[in-house]
Amino acid sequence: MSLVAGGIDDRALEALAHVLGPDHLLTSRPARLHRARVPAPFPVHRWADHTPDAVVLPGSTEEVAEVVRIANRFGIPVVPRSGGTGLTDGAVPLRHGILLDLKRLDRIHELDLENRTCTVGAGMNMLKLNERLAAHGLIYPDDPASYPCSLVGGRIGTSGWSLIGSRYGHTRDLVLSFVHVLPSGEVVRFGDGGGPKVSKSSTGYTLKPLFMGHQGTLGVATEATLKLYPKPEAELSPFWAFEDYDSAHRAVRELVRADCATFAGAVLFDEAKVRYLRRDDEAYIPQPESVRALVCAVLYGNEDEVRPGGRRLMRIARENGARYLGDEISQGDWAARHDRYATPLHGRTKAGQVVPMSWHCEDAAINWPALPAVTGKWHEIVGELRRKSDVFDDWGVFAYTSARTGVDYLTEIDVGIWEQELDDAAWALWVEAKRDIAAVAVAHGGSISACHGACREGEVDLVPDELGGGYEVMRTLKRALDPNNVMNPGKYGLDGAFEEDLK
Amino acid sequence: MSSHASGNGREPGAATDEFVQEWRNAAYNCYSSGHKFCREVCPVMQVERNESWTPTAFHANVVAMEQGELTLEEVAADYVNCTQCGACELRCPNTLFTGDFYRFRTRTVDLVKAVRGLAVDQGIHQPGYHRWNLLTDERRHEPVLGEADGGVPVDQAHVADWAAGLDLPTGGETILFVDCEAAFHRTSVPRAVAQILQHAGVPFGLMREQWCCGGPAAEMGYADQARRFARHNLDDWRATGVKRVIVLDPHDYITFTEDYPTLFGAEYDDIEIVLAIELFAGLIREGKLTPDVPVERAITYHDPCRLNKRKGIWREPREILRAIPGLDFRDVDRVTQWSYCSGAGAGLSVEKPELTAKISERRIEHAAELEIDALVSACPWSERPLAEAGAARQIDVVDLHELLAESLGIDVGAPAGEAHA
Repeated sequence: MSLVAGGIDDRALEALAHVLGPDHLLTSRPARLHRARVPAPFPVHRWADHTPDAVVLPGSTEEVAEVVRIANRFGIPVVPRSGGTGLTDGAVPLRHGILLDLKRLDRIHELDLENRTCTVGAGMNMLKLNERLAAHGLIYPDDPASYPCSLVGGRIGTSGWSLIGSRYGHTRDLVLSFVHVLPSGEVVRFGDGGGPKVSKSSTGYTLKPLFMGHQGTLGVATEATLKLYPKPEAELSPFWAFEDYDSAHRAVRELVRADCATFAGAVLFDEAKVRYLRRDDEAYIPQPESVRALVCAVLYGNEDEVRPGGRRLMRIARENGARYLGDEISQGDWAARHDRYATPLHGRTKAGQVVPMSWHCEDAAINWPALPAVTGKWHEIVGELRRKSDVFDDWGVFAYTSARTGVDYLTEIDVGIWEQELDDAAWALWVEAKRDIAAVAVAHGGSISACHGACREGEVDLVPDELGGGYEVMRTLKRALDPNNVMNPGKYGLDGAFEEDLK
Repeated sequence: MSSHASGNGREPGAATDEFVQEWRNAAYNCYSSGHKFCREVCPVMQVERNESWTPTAFHANVVAMEQGELTLEEVAADYVNCTQCGACELRCPNTLFTGDFYRFRTRTVDLVKAVRGLAVDQGIHQPGYHRWNLLTDERRHEPVLGEADGGVPVDQAHVADWAAGLDLPTGGETILFVDCEAAFHRTSVPRAVAQILQHAGVPFGLMREQWCCGGPAAEMGYADQARRFARHNLDDWRATGVKRVIVLDPHDYITFTEDYPTLFGAEYDDIEIVLAIELFAGLIREGKLTPDVPVERAITYHDPCRLNKRKGIWREPREILRAIPGLDFRDVDRVTQWSYCSGAGAGLSVEKPELTAKISERRIEHAAELEIDALVSACPWSERPLAEAGAARQIDVVDLHELLAESLGIDVGAPAGEAHA
């Protein structure tokens, strides 16, 4: 067996070339290295550990299915990658293999103005889609921080979370159905029932959610039918300042409980977050020292509904000790909020020296009453990390409403990481901290992740604790659907599902 | 691609190390955040969907070179896949949110030029670039008319053929510089510009001996050649007392306002570079040019990348279009147009004409959605591939200067010997 492209033998490469043609099977070192990482913290010094052996760029569902069949025939891992913007390493190969890059599946197959749906390839980006939908006065409101670059396929594979989900729902609600290639290479459609544009069905098992958020371990979506909404005619995005975190925390609950129909979401900034913005984020509009915590909310909808809703929220905020920060910051910072994905280029060492750092965000789903305790414990963990190494900096905590009842919040602690200085020792500290951060979420009755997924080193160890008997069901399903363990092997500890076979 | 030892006296390894050290922090700023906001505005990415041909990959390669994972030889050819349009720099969060304060911006265009230059220095040539620059060096002008019969008049004797019958003087304080594509191929554009200047009473002449500006050579990595051409042109300007250079081509505008100042420093301080479009918009504003012949066409405007994305010039072309009576102008805002490109820039059409054609087809598709009959551009280099793509969809590609001339009642006319165009 010759090792032309990493560990894949010639016969498998020939079979792939036959399906894809020479232009869409890439085996060069750069092509493979470019698809080894995502924006999550990455051990740069161990880049080669995560390099796929070959990259394929299929142009159709049938080609995807053929690739998966070839992988089964030769026992080669397949790692799906669409935008490669995820934060849980779903698209990072753990066992090399074939990297299935879905970006060429970027066509709009159908725009159904009567049912207000559209059907697109998994490689479609939401911003690009909305540019096309604008001509019809419609939007697809899936709105992650990676809105300008993430792709529909990845949103399905990770079960993405949307900033304005309290109004429109998250990816799971917005995707009506999708074409899916199972680990066997069989092509099926999952939705609510059989009809591709049905939003509620009681026929059979409700399979659609099972095939979302699996991080590529149960196959890959190639085409999706999406729910569209009228482009809202009005938007209101007030920012309010508070003198302390507890007041802001109480206020956000009251704002959500107002139950305005046009309420799309709220964000709570803790005191560490405001301190960090004041210290190092020059794009942030400066505020007086008395401003120590912030809440912003957003309403979308018809103007004659948004206006009275906004007046109600303004009154509630005032009654809860808030000071409205004015229209400039409301409009400016809200617009920026969709793009505040990279934030500054730098953090600081303990001595205050500016060093190049990148932003990394650790998320969890936390119920409202637990927010202060979780926030406090997370700062202790990151503080300890920072005490041990100047590679890390605490950039504060955000909590975002996940649902319109305000039951739970996507809660994230942002950590600056100086990747140029990452080595095995710093990486080990980081993995340990990541595990501790996840443990706090689980101990407080939350979930390790509200939106990224939970299959990274460190956090993944706690998934069985969080899911209990549900994790055993995951293993049973994995074995049944992917008997050769070709789909993204190693993720979510699911190799364990095959231990009995090995015995 | 071939590879041999460097001809510049430095060890290739040392030059590569120096390059990596220079670009290290910028590369990490992109690589570590890894967010790829640039991706969907990149004209190459939009049609190829290949993550290796993105600004993110161009930066990641530097990190990989530092880590010893990749070599220049392995990545050089990937850097062909860039039109140096600058969209990625505008869309980069590192530019958008912190650039002003920290005086940092993502500089993908400079990075691409640096890698291409380093490759050429080390004898790693892309065949199309290599041939193009050899011919340019030989003829003093880019071989824009192709090489088919070997007898095409891209040479010094024909550089001003476009001006036949216009009675233009040589030299003077103000000259009109005409890029190679317009001088030899799209000759109606310089004819329109020259006659508008005459119409407005702006005195100007032509260079004594104009050579290619050198910009394309710089964009493809042939820095020494670019420098020699720039030196010649500046010396020619000095010899005839030139103080002001009017340019009609956005590519020349970049070369003269960015490359020449870097090359010549204070020596170049007193040369004023004037973009014809800005000059004309000003003359219209002052009432010195009044387009009054109605042009009854439904049009949209293509923001040339080097004006809109690289220089922030997007108001003036629209001012001119809005001053032309009869036009049904269906505009697309300049930010949406960050994603648009003809694909002709930075040598892409030299090395990969099929990719340029795909990018132009995509641009024409956007225009077709507006149900117009003409796409107006202001960049001669964009107009050839756009016109080819437009022909398939019955969309004319018209130059802004020509349209203005028409509305001023100027019959642009054809120079003698136009047949080769």
